[in-house]
Amino acid sequence: MNNKSSLIYADNAATSILDEEVFEAMKPFLLEEYSNVSQPYSFSRKSKKALIEARNTIAACINASPEEIFFTSGGTESNNWAIKGIMLFSKEKKGIITSNIEHLAVLKPCETMKELGCRVKYLEADTNGYICPEELKKAIDKEDRLVSIMMANNEIGTIQNIKEMSRIAHDEGILFHTDAVQALGHLEIDVQDLKIDLLSASAHKFNGPKGIGFLYIKNGTKVRSLIEGGSQENKLRAGTENVACIVGMAAALKKNCDKLYDSTIYLKELESAFYEILDDCEVEYKINGGEKRMPGNINISIKDNDGEMILHRLDLMGICISTGSACDGGNTNISHVIEAINVPKNYARGTIRISLSSKNTKKEVTEIAYSIVKIVKKR
Amino acid sequence: MIDKCIACLKENLDKNTIGINKKLLGESVDTFYCIDCLADFLDTTVEELKDKIEEFKDEGCDLFE
Repeated sequence: MNNKSSLIYADNAATSILDEEVFEAMKPFLLEEYSNVSQPYSFSRKSKKALIEARNTIAACINASPEEIFFTSGGTESNNWAIKGIMLFSKEKKGIITSNIEHLAVLKPCETMKELGCRVKYLEADTNGYICPEELKKAIDKEDRLVSIMMANNEIGTIQNIKEMSRIAHDEGILFHTDAVQALGHLEIDVQDLKIDLLSASAHKFNGPKGIGFLYIKNGTKVRSLIEGGSQENKLRAGTENVACIVGMAAALKKNCDKLYDSTIYLKELESAFYEILDDCEVEYKINGGEKRMPGNINISIKDNDGEMILHRLDLMGICISTGSACDGGNTNISHVIEAINVPKNYARGTIRISLSSKNTKKEVTEIAYSIVKIVKKR
Repeated sequence: MIDKCIACLKENLDKNTIGINKKLLGESVDTFYCIDCLADFLDTTVEELKDKIEEFKDEGCDLFE
């Protein structure tokens, strides 16, 4: 029986709940301190101060300098800006290297740049979703200007060896961008240690508000503006600052980073509880993604099954998850990531993603697992 | 394909009923329930299934009319 009041939300890689403390931090800037921070009157003073503090907080969370943080509308804009902003500035070198498992917010801008005369090379992920740094080394040539590889995959959760790949790119004088939308707030990120030139992030993936994100641009990196107009964000990203959401993003990131260790351990426990039930009930499945993976990401393919069917049946039970396949009027489309990692055909259609957060309970995870068992055993 | 309910034997199941069977029991099913029996089988309500049908139609899924 569907009971919406007892909703179990396990699609945190798609978006996450706004943290109540974050909402409280945002509220004054929605209701009272609503000024445009570009205005010189004293009414804007508190908002300006909040903006500075938020930028400082975010920079500290990734070991960047505040002037390297540029606020955007989210991960998609950040990725578009990183790719187009670098390549539109590059007069001679016209090569981009990316991978075949990137988010569409990277793949589509790369396609656009290709139409505008750039050359794009796609590194292929292995069956666990890893991009081999050696393959990057082999792929680079003197025409290349930018490497863009995601930090953690949004579907299968595999975490890439970003440090090694950025080193390889820099050895050849090439800039390195990473889409860290899934990773930030869930993994420790130090942009100086990883030697990243550009990093994309989105607040709603770590219990912040939707419609806000940022692009980290290392000092000295020449990037062309994508959104043109006013002189906000050091004249690189026009548009009146969304102070409430920026404050919320900073509060959410700080809170997540402060409890990173505990939440990682807790999520691993939840994952184990889930797999144990599936194993005990003899469900035939394979886990997609590598051993180095996002905490709370469970991506499985169930043999001879139908991921979309499982998603909708769980929905009727008040459980929200995601799938790696979708029906297109009688045909099943397998996601580009599941195809890229060569999941066997009799498993691929039965792919589902459960993405847990520290707000999920063990009771909820047990219910999800037993509900899946019930569905796949009762067709 | 048999277009009658495998539980109550109701005949002439419409396209939407067959579509919702495929969505909730699997694309490859070739036997179907009428909407009432499907709701019983899945421990849900006919209303919920009708809402789902409308959502699939809005998405443009051509399993529905």
